[in-house]
Amino acid sequence: MKDIRFEGIGKAFPTRGGGQFVALDDVTLTVAEREFVAVVGPSGSGKTTLMRMAAGLDHPTSGQVAVGGKRVTAPGPDRAVVFQQFALFPWKTVRENIAFGLRCQGAPRAKQDEVVARYLRLMNMEGTEDRYPHQLSGGMQQRVAIARSYAIEPDVLLMDEPFGALDAQTRTVMQEELVRLTRREPRTTLFITHAVEEAVYLSDRVVVLARDPGRLREIVDIRPTRIAEGWDEMAIDAVMDLPSFTHLRTHVWRLLRDQIRPDD
Amino acid sequence: MAQLSPLERWVLTLLGTIGFFAIWQGVAASGLVSHNALPTPAEVLATAWQLSFEPFAGHTLLQHLAASLGRFAMGFGLAALVGVPLGLAMGRWRLLDDIVSPIFEMLRFVAPLAWVPFAALWFGTGIGGPVMVIFAGALPPCLINAYRGAKLVEPRIVEAAQVLGASGPRIMAEVLLPGSLPSIVAGLRVSAGLAWQSLIGAELIVASAGIGYVMVQAQSNLAPSIVMAGMLAVGVIGLALDVALRRTETLVKARWGQA
Amino acid sequence: MSAPDLSVQRRADAGAPAPPRAARRLPRFGIGRRTLVGALSLLGLLVLWWVLTTGTGLVAPYRFPSPAEFRGALDQFVTDGYAGGTLWVQAWHSTRLVLMGFAVAVVTGVPLGLLMGVSPRAEALLNPAFLLVRPIPPLAWIPLAIVWLGLGDAAKVLVIWFAAFVPSVINTWTGVRGVDRTLIAAARVHGAGSRRLLTEVIIPGALPMIFTGLRLSLQASWTTLVAAELVGAFFGLGRVLDAAYRDINPAMITVAMVAVGILGAATTRLLGEAERRLIPWRS
Ligand SMILES: Nc1ncnc2c1ncn2[C@@H]1O[C@H](COP(=O)(O)OP(=O)(O)OP(=O)(O)O)[C@@H](O)[C@H]1O
Ligand SMILES: [Mg+2]
Repeated sequence: MKDIRFEGIGKAFPTRGGGQFVALDDVTLTVAEREFVAVVGPSGSGKTTLMRMAAGLDHPTSGQVAVGGKRVTAPGPDRAVVFQQFALFPWKTVRENIAFGLRCQGAPRAKQDEVVARYLRLMNMEGTEDRYPHQLSGGMQQRVAIARSYAIEPDVLLMDEPFGALDAQTRTVMQEELVRLTRREPRTTLFITHAVEEAVYLSDRVVVLARDPGRLREIVDIRPTRIAEGWDEMAIDAVMDLPSFTHLRTHVWRLLRDQIRPDD
Repeated sequence: MAQLSPLERWVLTLLGTIGFFAIWQGVAASGLVSHNALPTPAEVLATAWQLSFEPFAGHTLLQHLAASLGRFAMGFGLAALVGVPLGLAMGRWRLLDDIVSPIFEMLRFVAPLAWVPFAALWFGTGIGGPVMVIFAGALPPCLINAYRGAKLVEPRIVEAAQVLGASGPRIMAEVLLPGSLPSIVAGLRVSAGLAWQSLIGAELIVASAGIGYVMVQAQSNLAPSIVMAGMLAVGVIGLALDVALRRTETLVKARWGQA
Repeated sequence: MSAPDLSVQRRADAGAPAPPRAARRLPRFGIGRRTLVGALSLLGLLVLWWVLTTGTGLVAPYRFPSPAEFRGALDQFVTDGYAGGTLWVQAWHSTRLVLMGFAVAVVTGVPLGLLMGVSPRAEALLNPAFLLVRPIPPLAWIPLAIVWLGLGDAAKVLVIWFAAFVPSVINTWTGVRGVDRTLIAAARVHGAGSRRLLTEVIIPGALPMIFTGLRLSLQASWTTLVAAELVGAFFGLGRVLDAAYRDINPAMITVAMVAVGILGAATTRLLGEAERRLIPWRS
């Protein structure tokens, strides 16, 4: 397993007028091995940008990102990404989508089949392997996308609002399933979301970003409470009724509310 | 812009078709133009039928057509094999785009038929020369449509493949190609039309067999009915090619389009 | 042309758009990076040309001329002439035929397209003739034109007319049918008569498509002219190509090709300029 280190990350985009727009300013953050860190922040605070740099899809203008002690320069199969819009290959079946990463690695057919079957089972998707993405509901599509990322057994998982496009009910189900999956196969995870409750429910720590420019505002530790109260064994609605949960959620919410502006 | 009833439309279409042949027949039979210049529709059909059995310019019409189609298939296939991958790669890699685009833009303004002399000098007048001219005519739509298609592939999907560890060639074959297939097939259709027309052009100028050669021989023999029989054959084959590719396009759109 | 499509695509996905990585690896210069790489690419091509023909002699002179031979042929063509005329005479001869054929095609094709677009009756009546004639590629008319009119200019204009006519008609027709029906209804409501409707709503609405058709027509005109002159002509750049081919004079072939390319580009440019003037409302 590998950790993720953001060291003094700055990111500026050139603007049309020839100037610069600072999207992120001096962000230092470490996601430990097997830790689940959620990032929340107002729109435009640079959450996606942060994740893309860890993935190697974007490059910081200052500072550096290291995964497992190695500086990130390009995408690599040690880091898997789940996008908000799923980004499944529309011309491939569920099976082919999930097996894609393994094929890239040259894994034998038997191994591919075994992994596909395993994740279909874990994701409660048995029997859909020959369907095309457009024949699946949004929730199912996102399960395939998550399975596709898990299938390459990455050291690091990067998720950018993976449940953002789902309806509220499906979202709750997916949150529970993600908790199940991460407890069974813990991986270093950077999870980006707009939803405060989701962040608190899923993660070990919640990172709150501020914007203009995107900066680190505060890191809220959830793990001690989660372990002490045994959240992982409880249903999601039961957890959300706990006073400790409400307290943490309100805390994060206040950190965000202070900076939300009418134009958001 | 009032709508026509189906009956009215049908009647007018029929009138138009009859009118076309009637005018042709009328002009040809009236003696307004010399009969040597404009044969009647029936004579053209009869000539086409006759040419199917009796050799003209060395071969029967069908043999000439076979020679033409062979060259067409080679030139068009070559254009697709070069144009599609190059277009996809240019759509994906900016640097390649920046390098190739100005050269391509420069060459594109040279009419394909202007390549005939070099094609003949380099590859002879048998198969190679005409094939090169067809290639020059057919390449641009293949390349441009693959390029546009690749640009329109959802960037997230390309990134997803990248992140899952796909190599450049794999991204081209498994992501960009299927992702831009509708656009590519549309380009191939345009390309086939241009290939067919460039082929005729090339055969008019340099060739010793083929439908274009038939027409230019007939021209120097002052035999307009053979010229027009050749035009008929060219039109029928061109139409058949277009219909076939249009079908393919519809199929591809239905199958991949909704993605 | 792909730029607007792309921007639509980018707006559609909520995340941060990422320009391809190569774009940010290279430093930014005062002039655009694209221009710079493009210029370097063309320069590289010139160098390659010199290396292959002159530096190493890998490409034999009878296959492709060296830069020096090209220069020599150009000089000869400009001062002494070739195949019956100097560069200017031959180029003007070809350009004039293209412009004449193109003009005849536009003057006949655009009104016909308008008529077929506004009148379903005319459309139903004329469409069959179109469907019958359209599959015949313009170049296939060349032998017939020669049989009818000989090797002179008239045959060339006739063939160019055929070639340029079809795209003019089809695109005008498509353009008219694509005019927003609500615009037409709105104009009617405001009391516009048929004439006013045509000149102030339908023609402006169809103008972008009409110009698409004109561009295709112009391209077809050049292709056809070159082919027609290669098949048989007394003057023109196609005639020069043909003569140079028979003389096995690759340098002169290249000069003629370059001339054809430049003229094609220049006339297309002019048409684009006319389009910008006539359709100011389209960015
Ligand atoms: N390629 C780019 N070019 C220019 N500006 C960009 C680019 N990518 C992102 N930005 C800007 O950087 C800022 C941060 O963007 P980012 O997408 O990371 O925000 P975010 O926190 O993910 O927002 P959201 O919650 O809306 O997804 C935004 O203001 C955005 O406009
Ligand atoms: Mg985002």
